[in-house]
Amino acid sequence: MKHKGYKKAIVRILGPGKAQYLRISLFCIFISLVAGSVLLLLLGKNPLEGYVSILQGAGFIPKARYAGHKSIFTDFMSLVNYTTPMIFASLSFAVAMRCGIFNINISGMMLFSGFIASITVGYSSIPAPFAQILVVLIAVVAGAFSGALIGWLKHRFNANEVVISIMFNYIVSYVISFFIQTMFINPTTRQSERVGDNAMLTGVDTMIGDLRMDVSYVFPLAIIAVILIGFMFSKTRIGFELKAVGMNHSASRYAGIRIGRSVIFSMALSGVLAGLAGVSYYLGTFASIQPRVVPSLGFDAIAVALLGNNNPLGCLLASFLVMTISNGTTYMSSRLGVLREIASLITGILLLFSACGGAFKALADKYKEELDNEIDGGESK
Amino acid sequence: MADDIVVLDHITKRFPRIVANDDISLSIKKGEIYALLGENGAGKSTLMSVLFGLYEPDEGRIFIRGKEVKITSPREASALNIGMVHQHFKLVSDQSVTENIILGIEPTVKKLGLFSKIDIKGARERIKKLSADFGLDVDPDAKIEDLPVSARQRVEILKMLYRDAEILIFDEPTAVLTPQEIESLLSVIKSLRDGGKTIVLITHKLDEIKKVADRCAILCRGKLVGVYDVDSISTQEMASLMVGYEYSDEVNKEEYTGGESILEVNNITLYNQDKVKVVDNVSFSVHKGEIVSIAGVAGNGQVELADVIAGMLTPSSGTIIYKGNDITDKTIRERTEAKIAYIPEDRQDVGLLLDYDLSVNLALKSYYHEPYCSKGILNPSEFRKNGEMLIKQYDIRSSEGCSTIVRSMSGGNQQKAIIAREISLDADLYIFVQPTRGLDVGAIKNIQERIIALRESGKAVLLISLELEEIMNLSDTIIVMYNGRIQAVKKRSEVTANEIGYYMMGAKHEA
Amino acid sequence: MNSIIIDGLSFSLPLFIIAIGGIYSERSGITNLALEGLLGFGAFTGGLTAAIIYQFTAIGGTASMYIALFAALIGGMVYAMLHALLCIRFKANQVISGVVINILATALTAFLTNQINASLFGKASNRFVLEVSPRFSIPLLSEIPVLGAFFTSIYPFEIVILAVALIMWYILEKTPYGLRLRAAGDNPQAVDAAGVNVEMIRFSAVMVSGAMSGLGGMCFAYSISSNVSPSIFSGYGYLSIAAFIFGNWKIGPTFWACILFGFARSAGYSLVNVLALPSAYSDLVLTLPYIITVILLLFVSKANKAPKSLGEVYDKGKR
Repeated sequence: MKHKGYKKAIVRILGPGKAQYLRISLFCIFISLVAGSVLLLLLGKNPLEGYVSILQGAGFIPKARYAGHKSIFTDFMSLVNYTTPMIFASLSFAVAMRCGIFNINISGMMLFSGFIASITVGYSSIPAPFAQILVVLIAVVAGAFSGALIGWLKHRFNANEVVISIMFNYIVSYVISFFIQTMFINPTTRQSERVGDNAMLTGVDTMIGDLRMDVSYVFPLAIIAVILIGFMFSKTRIGFELKAVGMNHSASRYAGIRIGRSVIFSMALSGVLAGLAGVSYYLGTFASIQPRVVPSLGFDAIAVALLGNNNPLGCLLASFLVMTISNGTTYMSSRLGVLREIASLITGILLLFSACGGAFKALADKYKEELDNEIDGGESK
Repeated sequence: MADDIVVLDHITKRFPRIVANDDISLSIKKGEIYALLGENGAGKSTLMSVLFGLYEPDEGRIFIRGKEVKITSPREASALNIGMVHQHFKLVSDQSVTENIILGIEPTVKKLGLFSKIDIKGARERIKKLSADFGLDVDPDAKIEDLPVSARQRVEILKMLYRDAEILIFDEPTAVLTPQEIESLLSVIKSLRDGGKTIVLITHKLDEIKKVADRCAILCRGKLVGVYDVDSISTQEMASLMVGYEYSDEVNKEEYTGGESILEVNNITLYNQDKVKVVDNVSFSVHKGEIVSIAGVAGNGQVELADVIAGMLTPSSGTIIYKGNDITDKTIRERTEAKIAYIPEDRQDVGLLLDYDLSVNLALKSYYHEPYCSKGILNPSEFRKNGEMLIKQYDIRSSEGCSTIVRSMSGGNQQKAIIAREISLDADLYIFVQPTRGLDVGAIKNIQERIIALRESGKAVLLISLELEEIMNLSDTIIVMYNGRIQAVKKRSEVTANEIGYYMMGAKHEA
Repeated sequence: MNSIIIDGLSFSLPLFIIAIGGIYSERSGITNLALEGLLGFGAFTGGLTAAIIYQFTAIGGTASMYIALFAALIGGMVYAMLHALLCIRFKANQVISGVVINILATALTAFLTNQINASLFGKASNRFVLEVSPRFSIPLLSEIPVLGAFFTSIYPFEIVILAVALIMWYILEKTPYGLRLRAAGDNPQAVDAAGVNVEMIRFSAVMVSGAMSGLGGMCFAYSISSNVSPSIFSGYGYLSIAAFIFGNWKIGPTFWACILFGFARSAGYSLVNVLALPSAYSDLVLTLPYIITVILLLFVSKANKAPKSLGEVYDKGKR
């Protein structure tokens, strides 16, 4: 009886009803921010000041002063540039997950398509718009290929896709590292040679008016992808079939859906998106590949998709949120004098709480049922 | 009263929708076999779950050996020397019989006076002795996954005995057994009683009670009808008390006149994943306007056979001819389009997408074509239209109509939804697997009438059921399956329920 | 040849002990992709301990190494409680929890290492430097031709690992706790019915996996780089997952899988050396264990049997 008020509150905030998932995600974000505040307090910093400077760094709130050719707009465009690969990557995870497959190979797929695009088009002299279009097409093909391969292995050999994906991550990473170090290395940066501006999907230091900024050309493509994937899942037959397979294999089979085809298709689509993430990362946000490093963005994307409840629009918003924290923290660390590593730590905490989202839902649903039963019981007596 | 080992005093247990046990009082004597008789859903299992500590009663008291007790967990029940064999065995499949039996109360020995180690040897000896004492033949070193169902059941019994249980509860122990196995189980139960144990037997099979029980309590819809000495009551009386009304054998349908053949099953053989032959060279045919039913004890290959015909499983050999065409290699969807409807055994895991709403589930077999889908785009208003129509037509009850998530619906309404969907396909062949399992009497009658209506309208129906009564009521032709093989094929008019019962037990093989 | 055996063993054994931890967790029914993060966090704790000992005490090399190994074990165990909490108490998806734990471990150790280096030791560094571990050879045995290499320039931790592995095997196979743990991964209902607390078993199993990962991670830190830095997250955790999946979740076969990985790796390195190839070729060599894994996995996938209830949330109410 004592806890009834508290249970009611939880049911009210997180319980079943309209936009439950959204409310739970917001709740996760909220407690992560609280945890972040505690962290900042422990370091002797003012959390409010910290969060304001994160927003300033990410281009949501104006800073006190700007260097030449910079403004709040340049900061925001930089955020967009960094967020674009994350949108693709989290969509990539969501598409596979909706069909019941864990794609942990996003990092590997990104690396693979980024590398292929770099060496075929990135180092060529194909003129600008064609080179960029080619880069995107190569990403689509390379991604689709690697996704379909994993989907096929899973379907044909019943191989554990998680382990296969992880192994592929390493194989791709080492093999590409080998080629970079023997053929494409830049001795001073110890990374691959920069790709040419003609192939870049980000206009680096583009002058717009008086401002100099990084413009992501593929961000609109990311938005289109969000809309298309959203449309696919909510309105189309193929989207329905993927979701059905993700929910229950035997019932889907019974309904006449071909499981293997759905699995391979969803992995191929996931691969396409991962490929786009790869090129917008390696030929956009950055311009070269670091040997032996798997992009951690491919793993972060898993948790971002989770935070966005594997919903395309959710992925978009969650991507912006996570990248706002990681981008804005650079500015915060210089303003407040805390370590830059705190960015990934706050992100990590956010992801940790979003992993508990399911638990919050279960808890709220349980309390709701308990409260309902109490009412029922009361009436029957 | 002195020798009453268990006394249940005015037990009431409510669930959100129903009162499972309504003010039930029983007393069970030490050393007797006490049967709890009732239909599915009569409240037998709930009552025993209360005794075993799985549920807490809302009202009432429990006395064990004259002392009032509160049993809140199986562990406490076990401490009171109460044991239970559940319908679904709780065994660890990749461990040995001995390991399973000692789980949780492992005896240990010290090695070198230092390390403590499970005393497998000692445990094995004790198990061997218990096996011998009560005629429970089990190899203590065998792995559970290698054992047949009947042996697993013996392991469960040994588990109770190893824990010194004196009150043994058996929940529908014969449902999964073959006739011979039933015989030997019943004799084990007798020897347990003769060894001084008290037995509670939950069942709905009258002949078993007649064979072994001393007294029986009959439950009907959560209420206690009465407690009887088994010797002084006939099976007929027990049956009518159990059902709650006078049971009639009348069949409300016209005589089968014969029609053209729709389905021909030729020499179908199927091996399962463990390379065991589950369907063995089965051939039969189904005609227009005919209800062919397959009778048999659970697990004799009937369900797999239905899956083969519906395309869910691929046969190892044999052919399926449907309306003159060989469909053995056709996909599930091609069969659906050729107008085969299938009501699967597992309605929750196979027949429905539980997390989708009712309107989608009511179009689960036709979602991909017009009018539900054109050019790859789904049309929700068509789903709703179809859904509303079927909901009305078939009286499917749900909280939010078309947009109810199917998971939240009751089992009976889920089944109605499947049947509504399949009948609306206007198929030529209907395969029903246990269409009325677990439903209440009203729903059962409704579904059986629909099946007969299909027959009257000239459809071919293949019905697979474990309920002999249902088979006798509906069929034109009865096929009995035993160990994957066809034991007998009989016209309904030429056979009695008793005869079918004998075939089901594999007793008589028709040449 | 000698270096293949010596390097092969010093790589295989830490992998093996991490894999044993994974076996504990997964056989109790909890999927554990978090091994990577657990070993990293364990190594961080060990590295920090070693750094503190070096800076503030007079405890010498070998003793400090054992203390550091123990600290890593404890650190991994404590951090693993997070995974256990998420999977068991919060019923989170176990794969996702594992991934999140790994991400958090990378972030947390990077942040803490920098912060502690700055505030405690007054220097800007992202690593803790360890003292070089001593190595020893067993007299007589090490002189046997070829096979003697198994007894030559051994790290002390290799002996520790073998001893711990033996104990872990004994506990899993011979004690009541082990029996219950194995049962919990197959049929938790049966364990519950036997009056044993499933959640407790699973929680402790995940903690054991953390302890073993921490120990293994610290051994990697000593043998590969003599420091604890972000490069500890090089996928050894994932590799050990592959090892025990191969080993069919059994300790014996998993040992051989680890030996195979370790020796494939060291043999490749030797080959690059013998042929005097540029160092970039070692990248190709490094793919060997992974490629072997994929190929073998395709063959064994059908025959392999994961614990039956692996990854499933155990809900008491469900029967």
